[in-house]
Amino acid sequence: MKGFTISTAASRVVQYRLLVMLVAVAVFGGLNVDDFLTINTLQSVIDRATVVGFLALGLTPVLIAGQIDLSIGSTMSMAGITTIFLQSYIGNIPAALVGLVVGVLIGVINAVLVVVFKINSLVATLATLLVFASLALLVTNSYPLSSSDPIFGIPLTADFLAIFTPRSAMFIAAALIMFVWLKATPSGRNLYAVGSNAPAAKSAGINANGYLAATFVISGLFAGAAGVLQSLSTAAGSPVAGAVMLIPAITAVVIGGTRLEGGRGSSLATLGGVLALGALTAALEYSGVPSYTQAVYTGLLLILLITLDRLVSGDGTTASRTHRRVKVEPTTPRIP
Amino acid sequence: MTDLKTPAVTFDKTRTPGTLFSTLSIPVAIVVLVVIGAIVSPSFLTVSNLTNVINANSTVGLIALGMTFVMVCGGLADLSVPANVAMGALVTLGAQPVVGPGAAALLGILVATAGGVINGLLVGYLRINPIIATLGTGSVLLGLSQLLIGGGIVYAQPSDLANFVKSSILGVPVLIWIFVIVALILQPLLSRTAYGRWNLAVGGNYQAAAASGVPVRFTKASAFALTGLLSGICGTLLALSNGQARPIIGTGYEFVAITAVVIGGTSVFGGNGSIFRTVGGVIITALIGNLIILSGLPTQATGLITGAIVVGAVGIDAYFRRKAGRE
Repeated sequence: MKGFTISTAASRVVQYRLLVMLVAVAVFGGLNVDDFLTINTLQSVIDRATVVGFLALGLTPVLIAGQIDLSIGSTMSMAGITTIFLQSYIGNIPAALVGLVVGVLIGVINAVLVVVFKINSLVATLATLLVFASLALLVTNSYPLSSSDPIFGIPLTADFLAIFTPRSAMFIAAALIMFVWLKATPSGRNLYAVGSNAPAAKSAGINANGYLAATFVISGLFAGAAGVLQSLSTAAGSPVAGAVMLIPAITAVVIGGTRLEGGRGSSLATLGGVLALGALTAALEYSGVPSYTQAVYTGLLLILLITLDRLVSGDGTTASRTHRRVKVEPTTPRIP
Repeated sequence: MTDLKTPAVTFDKTRTPGTLFSTLSIPVAIVVLVVIGAIVSPSFLTVSNLTNVINANSTVGLIALGMTFVMVCGGLADLSVPANVAMGALVTLGAQPVVGPGAAALLGILVATAGGVINGLLVGYLRINPIIATLGTGSVLLGLSQLLIGGGIVYAQPSDLANFVKSSILGVPVLIWIFVIVALILQPLLSRTAYGRWNLAVGGNYQAAAASGVPVRFTKASAFALTGLLSGICGTLLALSNGQARPIIGTGYEFVAITAVVIGGTSVFGGNGSIFRTVGGVIITALIGNLIILSGLPTQATGLITGAIVVGAVGIDAYFRRKAGRE
């Protein structure tokens, strides 16, 4: 039984990494922080993961399709500013809806650049990142807007069903709906086909460009939702709110196990990644670790997981990327 | 351009709008920007203004030169640049009281290069997606740099080295000299040496390059190590010329460098690109930034205009490529 030694053990660790992480964080937090293992902590971790969570969820279909969207942070800022700015003119709910529309519009712009003008998504969304980050600073003159109705957003972070808050419940619901879409509908399965091999998907009669465009619009919508929720619950529209969110969002998706190469991923895995990252951040914060040290831990974790994944799942020396993808494609999703 | 590229170029109809666009676009863009600048502001077309513009952009220009290699070899982009710049700058100033300015500068460059080597190992040898790998190392290294100085700010001691960096030779600032010299070394390295052709081959077709005996892993790794080295030099020069350094010193430099390389026409998919075109890209981004300030537009508009130009340049390029492919 030569196979069953380190490599098998390592592959189990990688497979159940989210569980391993959550248990490790619970043990670490439980030992180091008083009253860490309580319902309150759970509620706060889920609640605070909401904003990054929406961004990460929106990013998931984009990555499954083999593309990337770097503009989600800027989109989030724009949606937040719009919502707060319009509150006093058209009321709270319409303003929030317009915020979502702004997100969708930026998603449409990305989709047009990638699908119609055939610009590589890395470059196209880098450009929209710059454009909308700049626009957000321009329209606000670099100052955050304050809400005309600061009371409205407070219920978003109130108690809800013991372990949730209304906004985190929305996040969990969105993750579940996306899971059903990706795994149980023909259009969800087609998306995986487009991501793992676009030309083959096209030959099979799938409208690959339509799916690519849709992922960017979804990503814009979710980034818009992140911006609306964040601005309403903080009662402020900051032009730089989204700038720091891009890296945690990508990290969460990748920790969950979605690949940047496309064709693989799951919204529940992203949910797990978001929660694991949130729990880790909370545990570190509660034990008094400064925020820049948290970045070190998060980054190390990302590198460690991805390296383990690479060492275990594919023999990097011979297996080509296409080969690995074919091998991986038929397996059922690994859900924590 | 290179031995690898020549057959393709002669095969192509040399006078298609596409090739014409790609050869002429950069000089034409620079001329257009200079003309606009001369119209917009009388102080634009002066030696001191143009020198200042290039001087201010020569440090980030160094990174764009390294990023060219990363993109050419199919490594997408190095997002850990701000962290390596910060490391270079902070170590340079932090170690000054202990080992002296010269050794501290070398140490700073060395630490940043080590960061680049780690990127190279992850991307080249472990074949991890470059975006993820460099996001991770960037996060770790930036955190470490902040940990190193407790999140504050480091000041430089007066030294001959700092005075030299801030001085001019033959009327041209030292920073520009360094940028020009590095560009003149890297241009033939990419276009005329076996190492350069390895980069183009790895970016053009990884499998084919590996099959024909190109050390694919080393090539990819070295491009990231080079970018780390140049980020370190950038950080060291910034720290010495500003007289201070903090962890956010290189924030946004990765995007500026990528923008310059992309405006220069290097494909994000890898397989082609040239250092001179990147130099053109650096000059164009520098002039745009200067024009925005001189014409009285708010500086926040820089990203708006740069982003629009990236989309325009890459979109037109992609259009001509497809058209050429169909014909």
